[in-house]
Amino acid sequence: MKMKYYLIGCLFFLVSCSKDFLEKKPYNALPVEDALKTEADMLVALRGAYASLRNVDLYGRTIPVLGDLMADVTYQSASNSNRYTFYNQYGIPVVDGNALGMWTAGYQTILRANNILSTSIDGTANARQYKGEAHAIRALVYFELVRFFAKPFTDNPTNNGIPVITTFDITVKPKRNTIAEVYALILDDLTKAYNLMTQTTNSSQFSKYAAKALEAKVHLFKGDMTNARTAALDVINNGGYTLLGSSNYLSYWQNPAPLTNKLETLFEVSSDGIANLGFDALGYIYSQGGYGDMICASDLYTAYSATDVRRSLLTPGTRSGPAVFVNKYNNIVTDRDDTKVLRLSDVYLIAAEASLSSNETDARSYLNAVATRRDPSFSGFTSTGTTLLEDILTERRKELAFEGHRFHDLNRLKRTINRSNDYPAAARTIPYPFDRRLLPIPRAEIDANPNMVQNPGY
Amino acid sequence: MKKKTLLLMYMLVSVVWIYAQTKTVTGKVQDESGVPLANVSVQVKGTRLGAVSAADGTFSLSVPSTAKTLIFSLLNYRTAEQSITTSPLTVKMVAVTDNLSDVVVVAYGTTKKPEITGAMGIVKSKDLENKPFTSVDRALQGAVAGLQSVASSGTPGASQQIRIRGIGSINASSEPLWILDGIPVNIGDASRLTTTANLLSTLNPNDIESITVLKDAASSSVYGSRAANGVILVTTKKGKSGKTKFRFDTEVGYSDIAYFNDQYRPLKANEFFELAREGMVNAGLAPATITANLADWGFGNNVDFNWLDAVTKKGTQRQYNMSASGGNDRTTYNLSGGYFRQEGITLQSDFERWNGNISLVSKATDRLTISTTLNAGFVQQNAPLSGGSFGNPILSSYFLLPSRAARKADGSLNITAPDFGPGSLHNTIATAEMDKRFLKQLSARGGLTLEYKILDNLKFTSRYGIDYNVLEEEQYNNPFHGDGQSVGGRAFVFYTRLFNYTWSNILDYRTSFGKTKAFTASAQVGYEAQDSRTLTSNVAVTGFPATTQLTFPVVAATPTQATATGSDYSFLSAFSSASVNYKNKYVITGSFRRDGSSRFGLNNRYGNFWSIGGTWNIDQEAFMANMKLISQLKLRASYGANGNAGIGNYDWQPTYSYGSNYNQQPGSAPNNIGNIFLTWEINKPFNVGLDLSLMNNRITFTADYYIRKTSSLLLDAPLSRTSGFSTIRDNIGSMQNKGFEFVLNAIPVSTKNFQWSVNINYANNKNKILSLVNNQDIIAGIFIRRVGADYQSFYAPRWAGVNPANGDPLWYKDAEGKETTNSFNDAVRVMLGSASPTYFGSVTNTFKYKGFAVDAQFYYSGGNLVQDAWAGFYMGSGNGSAFNKIFRQYNERWKAPGDNAKLPRYVHGGNRLAQNPSSLYLNKGDYIRLRDITVSYQLPASVASKLKLSSAVFYVRGTNLFTVVRDKQLPWDPEQGVSSQTNLNVFIPKTITAGLNIGF
Repeated sequence: MKMKYYLIGCLFFLVSCSKDFLEKKPYNALPVEDALKTEADMLVALRGAYASLRNVDLYGRTIPVLGDLMADVTYQSASNSNRYTFYNQYGIPVVDGNALGMWTAGYQTILRANNILSTSIDGTANARQYKGEAHAIRALVYFELVRFFAKPFTDNPTNNGIPVITTFDITVKPKRNTIAEVYALILDDLTKAYNLMTQTTNSSQFSKYAAKALEAKVHLFKGDMTNARTAALDVINNGGYTLLGSSNYLSYWQNPAPLTNKLETLFEVSSDGIANLGFDALGYIYSQGGYGDMICASDLYTAYSATDVRRSLLTPGTRSGPAVFVNKYNNIVTDRDDTKVLRLSDVYLIAAEASLSSNETDARSYLNAVATRRDPSFSGFTSTGTTLLEDILTERRKELAFEGHRFHDLNRLKRTINRSNDYPAAARTIPYPFDRRLLPIPRAEIDANPNMVQNPGY
Repeated sequence: MKKKTLLLMYMLVSVVWIYAQTKTVTGKVQDESGVPLANVSVQVKGTRLGAVSAADGTFSLSVPSTAKTLIFSLLNYRTAEQSITTSPLTVKMVAVTDNLSDVVVVAYGTTKKPEITGAMGIVKSKDLENKPFTSVDRALQGAVAGLQSVASSGTPGASQQIRIRGIGSINASSEPLWILDGIPVNIGDASRLTTTANLLSTLNPNDIESITVLKDAASSSVYGSRAANGVILVTTKKGKSGKTKFRFDTEVGYSDIAYFNDQYRPLKANEFFELAREGMVNAGLAPATITANLADWGFGNNVDFNWLDAVTKKGTQRQYNMSASGGNDRTTYNLSGGYFRQEGITLQSDFERWNGNISLVSKATDRLTISTTLNAGFVQQNAPLSGGSFGNPILSSYFLLPSRAARKADGSLNITAPDFGPGSLHNTIATAEMDKRFLKQLSARGGLTLEYKILDNLKFTSRYGIDYNVLEEEQYNNPFHGDGQSVGGRAFVFYTRLFNYTWSNILDYRTSFGKTKAFTASAQVGYEAQDSRTLTSNVAVTGFPATTQLTFPVVAATPTQATATGSDYSFLSAFSSASVNYKNKYVITGSFRRDGSSRFGLNNRYGNFWSIGGTWNIDQEAFMANMKLISQLKLRASYGANGNAGIGNYDWQPTYSYGSNYNQQPGSAPNNIGNIFLTWEINKPFNVGLDLSLMNNRITFTADYYIRKTSSLLLDAPLSRTSGFSTIRDNIGSMQNKGFEFVLNAIPVSTKNFQWSVNINYANNKNKILSLVNNQDIIAGIFIRRVGADYQSFYAPRWAGVNPANGDPLWYKDAEGKETTNSFNDAVRVMLGSASPTYFGSVTNTFKYKGFAVDAQFYYSGGNLVQDAWAGFYMGSGNGSAFNKIFRQYNERWKAPGDNAKLPRYVHGGNRLAQNPSSLYLNKGDYIRLRDITVSYQLPASVASKLKLSSAVFYVRGTNLFTVVRDKQLPWDPEQGVSSQTNLNVFIPKTITAGLNIGF
């Protein structure tokens, strides 16, 4: 009978250990409450937020590609991998995958930044730096989303913007904030970022002056030239960055790695040999060794003078007819090209444009600082007034081509987009306003959120 | 020395003494009609001495001279006693026809047939042994009513899908739970590089004694949260006491394509170029461009290579199995070993298995029985790529132009431009020689069981079981041609280990009570813990030296992946079941189980599952006593609740994951929103059944009707993406399956020398989605999940034929089919039918004449549609112009105005999106197939015994020998996985084998 009790005892042995027995933890993840407890955790989470910017529908590819394709900088080759075809044609459907991807990845990145900003770790310089960077990342993403999914601030700031989300809540079903409210958050974030940050790690992380450069740009997009000039001059005069010249221009673009020497790049999104998008990387859609779909518009190519160093990154060739290939991103194996987001040349051109109404000499000097560096045989612009404005805008198109700026510039200026004959005949003149100049709020968002209002025309 | 000699002498003497005190009794055991009975246990009454009858019914036994009576016992026969009068004795045994004593393996034990209240199907070893299938799940096709077992690939070692009583889940698993000798085992495809693999392929079907398939609540709910998709109980062979029996099985054979539609053969060179030229003219290409393109494609190079012939071949098949079993009345054992090799019918598809099995049962004391089983198998498998991979040999045989030859004129492999430059489809003849893709899979499944009879009617069982699987996968892509070319060669070595243990402790109690002990009752309580752990590690490299002889990562220049991770789950369960039996007339059963699992959310960690069942054995009623015609009449009903825990191991946990790295520094991100309420899906099956046996079981009939409703289906509810997440997984939807199952067994003719028996089984099932997230349609590829409709409904425009005037493709613009359009985008998508068969089953005829037997099983299935998912390329009216086409495209295309053609005008680059999915590419899936035909001859016992054999059987078996389909346009084999979608997989084979089974 003793045996019997022993065996029955065995049965109950298991009961006592039951609680631990059912605890199984994933190998690659921590419970949310354990993930952001220390300053070191914040840094790790911050890298996760930066990595999120590499998403294919953010700076990984879609943001820079659309900024040119929807304007007059690049067109889709007739032989193509069927990516971004609708944007080439200006026939974007409401279920478009890239618009959905940008919306989804954008708010994912915002969540990553929000979680860092929600921690109560504050005391140290490092913690302040990390929070400053998180503020800047959040500002950057809101700035991109509001420019793609809402009308320009310069049209009417009370128009529908995008929802402003600053804390995590899975039940949220937000309405659209006004454009002005979104810009207010962006500027508030950038002020905090500027004040909190003290460290410059490298060009792939935000620093004090990268945040200020972004602030200059945000003011420019508000049409607030005074503040844009102030911010841009702060970067130019106090940032310690040097402008890219013509001799180091090619090596600058060939380098796939982040910089620590404060040359030109204020902020870029890093891809490396291991963490990269492979066939979806930016270089692959430009390089003829990859998909090579995006071709330089022929009128842009002819706009570069023969002595312009920027022209050396463009190669005329044949692809379903004559085509100008773009060699700005040629690192398609091992370490991939980083995506430039904020460059000092951009800040100079912002300074030029923002100085126009107050100080034309300054405007010309900032413009020529860029223009003469690209074309050593060019002695500089001497234009004034509206001609000078046009010269500045043309220089922006040429300098920032293939980096996704032109479309937004034409939007904030509320100008018609005049595309060359390379584009489909039905999509060569895109007037302002035009519904398809806004991306659709993704149908998945409309379906899940009854408070969401669709953009007109979708 | 002296001592030893003495001892030896003593032993000799004693042997002589024993010899002198015994006599030998011989004899023969037969059934009522004189057919010899094998495996009859013959025991001397009052002793433990015994023997077992041979295949010819003969036995021989040394008995003490004092012995007077022998006891003969055999399952399903009435135990007989015979006094030892003469020798040889002839003993006739009477078959039990009251169906009371049949013992059936059920959940956590065995039971007698009258006490069964649920619905189950039983498959015996003879239907599993020596089949040309790499895994036992393949052998279940057609064996059990309501169990659908389908392959999607004919690759040896490929995974098999099983659905019992329809599909019961959308996002969780729909596979049944497999229990091997009481131990839940991991099943499915655990490979990560291999196209298709199957954990069960390491198990030799010849080691299986029986399989019980549990289909309803009463039979399966005691498995709780994992019973929703049904349970498959596998019992391996155990030894029987008596003389050691050896058995040797061997078979060899070859295989070929089971079903091939000649209308879908790839085009020959002249046919292709005629079509290509016409397509370019129709597309309005300039003559110079046409000439240039044709030249590019090799027009006029006098090559007409048949890629399909080149990548397919006759497969070969052989297996050897050996076993020894025996023991005495205290200890029995069964040992077996086997070797199995199958070469598939395409390049790079082969499979080899070595396996061994040990089973030992020992009665340590009168109360304690110890048993152990260990079943181990090692598989080496080579599976070609499938689907759209450029290296898929089937894809290449349909897509590569006939003007491209595998080899150059000098016999060397053609792997360079112009035919096979970078970016082109691969020369799969070359990659088959130059690349490597291996899976090595080792499994060990076994357990130790202690059974202790605390009282005569109270038994304690403790079982510890393990299930251990290791997979090593090696892939090498050479630097010269194919997938490795762009990176200078690449290789992967992936390691996967699954370790799963279960410890069960069970108390069984049986008692009788009431007046004249009319009531018998049994009760069971148990406790079970299961823990399953998976470890994976990956190595990937690029940059190989310029040779194909060095294929391992060690020689490569650049490591690109070096990582390892794991995934675990655990279950902790308490369970009980009980049954009350009144004179075998009325039986009520019930079960209850409480399951906890690491997979369930913190707030829903434990679930309760139950069942109740009842049986009325009408044949036991007094008023039936005189109805000799009816030997069994039984009504059954059951209802209950069980669950589907086939959900993600960590789905419920809100987590931050690591791996969002930046500048090669670790980064973290919220990756899983989690749901602390997440839990199992609930399945509530109702079953009512009838069992009828007539004329001493010459006709038996079973019918079941079931309706099962699954609710709390895991679905992804959309979230506002501004939250940072797209969806949250929650228990939301519901679905219903209902259907009938019939099984008829009959022996129309039975004489002394000739017997004909028939088995027919039939099942139908109707699936219906009852609710979804906000009841919104979910569109998943070509399928739509819509409330009220079948789960696997195809949703695409209806094809309206070809416009005779201009050859345009036409679709219907409205659901009613009134108006047609030549614009695909204007065509309306409609529900076209389901990928799930509405009915399926089998018909088996067995004829026996003396030693000859013919066994023929037809499997049939139908009511579904099959999608040819790749037809848009080879029958897409010009889409994919640079790829080869099939004969039907060539033969049925529109050519000139007025043609009443089946297929549109062929236009280079495609004709108005004719290639897009529509009903044109859906075919009726109804078919009937000669699944198995076996002709065997058993050597007469008299001849066998002269050869010192107890039995010898020679057979020839054909598998899938012919297939008849309803839709003559069905392009590929009708068996295309549960979702009925073709994927350019290795053809399902037909196989002819010849074999020999010898027992001695």
